[in-house]
Amino acid sequence: MFELTDQPIDATARRAQLARPDAGACVVFEGWVRNHHAGKPVSRLEYEAFDELARLEGEAITAEAEQEHPGCTVLCVHRTGSLGIGELAVWIGVVSPHRHAAFLACRQVIEEIKRRLPVWKKEHHSGNLAEWVNCTAESVAGRLAPENYYARQASLPEVGVTGQARLAEASVLVVGAGGLGCPAALYLATSGVGRLTLADAGKVEVSNLHRQILFTADDVGAAKATVAAARLRAQNPLVKIEAHASDVTPTNVRALVTGRTAVLDCTDNFATRFLLHDACRSAGVPLVSAAVYRFEGELNVFAPHQTGCLHCLWAGKPALSLEAVANCAGDPVFAPTVGLLGVMQAAETLKLILGLSTHADLSSTRLVNLLDASTQSLERPADPSCPVCAKVVSSSAAEAASFSLHPLNDSVVLTAEQLALLGPVQTIALLESGESLDAAAAPENTIAIAMADLGRLRELAARGPAVLTCRHGLRSVALARLLRAEGLPGIHALAGALSAIRPAR
Amino acid sequence: MTASRLLHLRFFAVLREQAGVSTLAVTTSARTPAELYAELVVSRGLTLPAALLRIAINDRYATMDTPLSPGDRVVFIPPVAGG
Repeated sequence: MFELTDQPIDATARRAQLARPDAGACVVFEGWVRNHHAGKPVSRLEYEAFDELARLEGEAITAEAEQEHPGCTVLCVHRTGSLGIGELAVWIGVVSPHRHAAFLACRQVIEEIKRRLPVWKKEHHSGNLAEWVNCTAESVAGRLAPENYYARQASLPEVGVTGQARLAEASVLVVGAGGLGCPAALYLATSGVGRLTLADAGKVEVSNLHRQILFTADDVGAAKATVAAARLRAQNPLVKIEAHASDVTPTNVRALVTGRTAVLDCTDNFATRFLLHDACRSAGVPLVSAAVYRFEGELNVFAPHQTGCLHCLWAGKPALSLEAVANCAGDPVFAPTVGLLGVMQAAETLKLILGLSTHADLSSTRLVNLLDASTQSLERPADPSCPVCAKVVSSSAAEAASFSLHPLNDSVVLTAEQLALLGPVQTIALLESGESLDAAAAPENTIAIAMADLGRLRELAARGPAVLTCRHGLRSVALARLLRAEGLPGIHALAGALSAIRPAR
Repeated sequence: MTASRLLHLRFFAVLREQAGVSTLAVTTSARTPAELYAELVVSRGLTLPAALLRIAINDRYATMDTPLSPGDRVVFIPPVAGG
């Protein structure tokens, strides 16, 4: 539950509101107005919210926390209006049967509120000076600007601003948060994959800790997906991390893989591997699959429309009989083997998103043996009798190699160069309180409107293709996504900030 | 009669452990991977059912009845599922 209020928050009443007979823990976070900021004294604060978006986003944040931490009930109340020193600006309460989940959920809600909630604060300093501070800009764009976070990666010629924008647009599902999934997800998150979902029904066990590097001794007993998601959010607050703390089943697999840029098979069994493979194939999503045995591992990238699929590899052998002879949970594992294979999965996934995959990447099995440091690549030809591949055997290698993950028009975030390729598009500059547009430095015929004027924005967006820009390049992306969700497909956001927007003051 | 041919074998995962070696050069009269594997079951004590293995010849997946030629590099890969 989420509320915005211009009245003082009654913490005692809010706490009582959460009372539940089965709750064994209540974790409360209170955000107070303090008398200083960035070295300057502050005498009081004024909060202004982008109401409609703030309520939607606040509800989404609390609902996500309840979903990811089963058993938790979350209430978050955020103030607007004028607040004095020591007053409550935000109150978050989480009750749950056990304390571990309540602590995690509470921490998650405040971090997401700081990151995503469209709230601004005006700081009043002594001597009648006042300035508006964008809370999101302060916590994210200021402290953790994407251009700084990814500086050493985006400067690779193979990545660049365009590649970084593609990564931010990507949505990747990692199935299995174990020895493979932990390192794979870690590198996908730090590389800036915009949306990452971790699926695992398991709980952290002591015997996992030697190789499942996202977990610490304190996490034993907690849900793997939930703990891993919290760890990754701390590692990179710029990306969206979701936890699916239950099994992938024939019932939910379609919904989980549809619309993904790629899926990673980090599972330890053939049943889930075949399930994911078939769902990905039918949804047209590439599957990056790995498996290990002690010091050895194998990696396969199965791209849609590519022949040489998982069924070709196993020529109709049933998963059950493979399971019977394959290694399984409880078998010995040399930790660096899963580490290496998981990192290779991350690398192949990033290459898919960046358009760097070679034909061999998509049509070979890579074998690695850490005992003698050897690698081998085996070509995966199509099995002419494969029931899955038979109908696509005629597609040429060239067609398969040139398959495109991101037709320009489907991409929300575009660079200025990509926009030029699209033809005439209306530029809309979204201004926060006090900001102004330097028309001479902006693209021709740019229309400037207030960020909070959602009505005017919808009206302009309905007229035809448009690109949204703002001073930090963050909220413009959020609004472009919102408009697309409302059925306006021609709406894009400019990658990065628009320098023609002058800051407040 | 079938002539003997020199083949270069490579074993992966549990097959490597059962064979006791990663690589092995053999001179054999086996004409296909199926015949070769049957010999290895006897000579090296391999126990996995042939029907559940993958075979690659000269860095390309092949089937158990693909004809073998002198000098071929043959890889045996069992199902692997750890993660």
